[in-house]
Amino acid sequence: MEKWSYQPAQDHGLAPVERARSVRREAGLISTITHAAWWTGVRSYLTLWHRLRIVGRENLPVEPPFVLVANHASHLDALVLAAPMSTRLRDVVFPIAAADVFFENGPVSLFASMMLNALPMHRANRGRHALADLRSRLVEEPCAYILFPEGARSRTGEMLKVKAGIGMMVAGLDVPVVPCWLDGCFEAMRPGCVVPRPRVITVHVGKAERFVDQPNTREGWDAVAERLEGRIKALRPVRG
Amino acid sequence: MNARWWDIEHAVDHPAVRVMLLMVAGLLVGAGVIIGVLSVLGKLKSEMRTELIRRTVAWGVMVPVVVGPILIAPAWGGLMMGVVSLLCYREFARATGLFREKALSALVAVSIGVITFSVVDHWYGFFMALGPLSIVVILAAATLRDEPKGYIQRIGLASLAVLLFGVCLGHAGYLCNDGTYRPMVLLLLACVGLNDIFAFCCGKLIGGAKLAPTTSPGKTISGAVGAITLTTVTFVVLGSMVFTAGPLSQMHHLIVMGIMVSTAGILGDLTISSVKRDIGIKDMGVVIPGHGGVLDRCNSLLLTAPAFFHYVGYFQGVGLDTPTRVISGGLGP
Repeated sequence: MEKWSYQPAQDHGLAPVERARSVRREAGLISTITHAAWWTGVRSYLTLWHRLRIVGRENLPVEPPFVLVANHASHLDALVLAAPMSTRLRDVVFPIAAADVFFENGPVSLFASMMLNALPMHRANRGRHALADLRSRLVEEPCAYILFPEGARSRTGEMLKVKAGIGMMVAGLDVPVVPCWLDGCFEAMRPGCVVPRPRVITVHVGKAERFVDQPNTREGWDAVAERLEGRIKALRPVRG
Repeated sequence: MNARWWDIEHAVDHPAVRVMLLMVAGLLVGAGVIIGVLSVLGKLKSEMRTELIRRTVAWGVMVPVVVGPILIAPAWGGLMMGVVSLLCYREFARATGLFREKALSALVAVSIGVITFSVVDHWYGFFMALGPLSIVVILAAATLRDEPKGYIQRIGLASLAVLLFGVCLGHAGYLCNDGTYRPMVLLLLACVGLNDIFAFCCGKLIGGAKLAPTTSPGKTISGAVGAITLTTVTFVVLGSMVFTAGPLSQMHHLIVMGIMVSTAGILGDLTISSVKRDIGIKDMGVVIPGHGGVLDRCNSLLLTAPAFFHYVGYFQGVGLDTPTRVISGGLGP
């Protein structure tokens, strides 16, 4: 008789807050329900308050794994990118959030995990290690990341230089990376702004690109970063 | 507000309830004093001391959380057991991987919810029907995915979960529907809890051959024998205050029930140990400091609750003296 195979949750044995902070977190029934409720709310809010519009929706992948990358100028960005995803993908689409902001204290960590389904990215000295963890999860199970490769929000609305981190995550992997340009998020809620203003937000979704041929080395990472920076900037609509 | 939902005036009317509450409070305070004295005398290593303190504090939190609702009113006792069942199921699902089957997992959770409803409603027929009915629904729903690979494992785990956490633990909740449920439920919980402690202490003091070394290396035969002896004595002493009239007040019934509660407790513990060994994990969770998960704490109740319930039910009847179908009553014919 063939043996049954059990796969305990990857986060088994972690206390609630540690579990929220774990890159290996897996959603259960309760999280599925809270994610669904949160994202339904966010979707309605974005539609009503910001008239959210997606240009190039056909470029959004339907099946994981994939990575969405975009310019970053507002706390709204992750919401705007995650909201259009199909309900079926709710538990496997993970916005990558700064650990020092979203995973520092207990209640905020629980919010980030139960509602946003965010995974932590450590920016300072643990950055390389954190990226390796995220990369291995992307390879081992079908999941999708939303991340902002500039590594911080732009204070001017102009795009910052894309960091090599995105390259460390995807160079050499056969995972589609989808560049997006978020238009209007900076105007709606620039850094420092607390209450979002009712500005129209448009997402421009570009064609996916794979970096399977790029070596997982310094040169490969820089090449991926440079390439994606160009792709994201190219999506920016030209204003007349 | 009727007495099913709010009956705190009668919480400690029964002398056996008062005795058991005092006993538990005494044990907790006593444990604290012993730990304090031993650490002042320097007989405790610091890790051992931290561990003992954590365990005792955990007991100090668990006892009011569990006993409180039982004392307040029957409905809260049933609801509390329902919540415990769901927490146990959550740990079981995450340990076995069943939680990834979202639809099946939701069905199990709903089944436990409906079983809890039948408990709070005091609807025995429905309560008995829900075990098989839940399995019918799970088997049928699981076929709809049209994916035979792994089917038996999925439905096997889901059915087991309904039976263990919905039906078996549900019996502990259903006991709350009896007219004099407080002493009975507290007697069961006290003896199940003490049984673990007796087994631990006897095993540590006497040592000797292992009971089931592959399943649970910590358990010894001496521990089991000691636990059965001491729990039976405790059950007879406390039980004679709980069952004051009727057939169950006879000595031989009390002895049989004591042995049954203790044996089923040890076997329930071994059941969950076997599950954990099969999966390859040490604890089911980390919710209760020093104890592990909720399921690690409730494992002894899994087999004890139905055994005790039906023993009492056969010889005396459970809940025959209280109104039935208190919520759904208006719906039926």
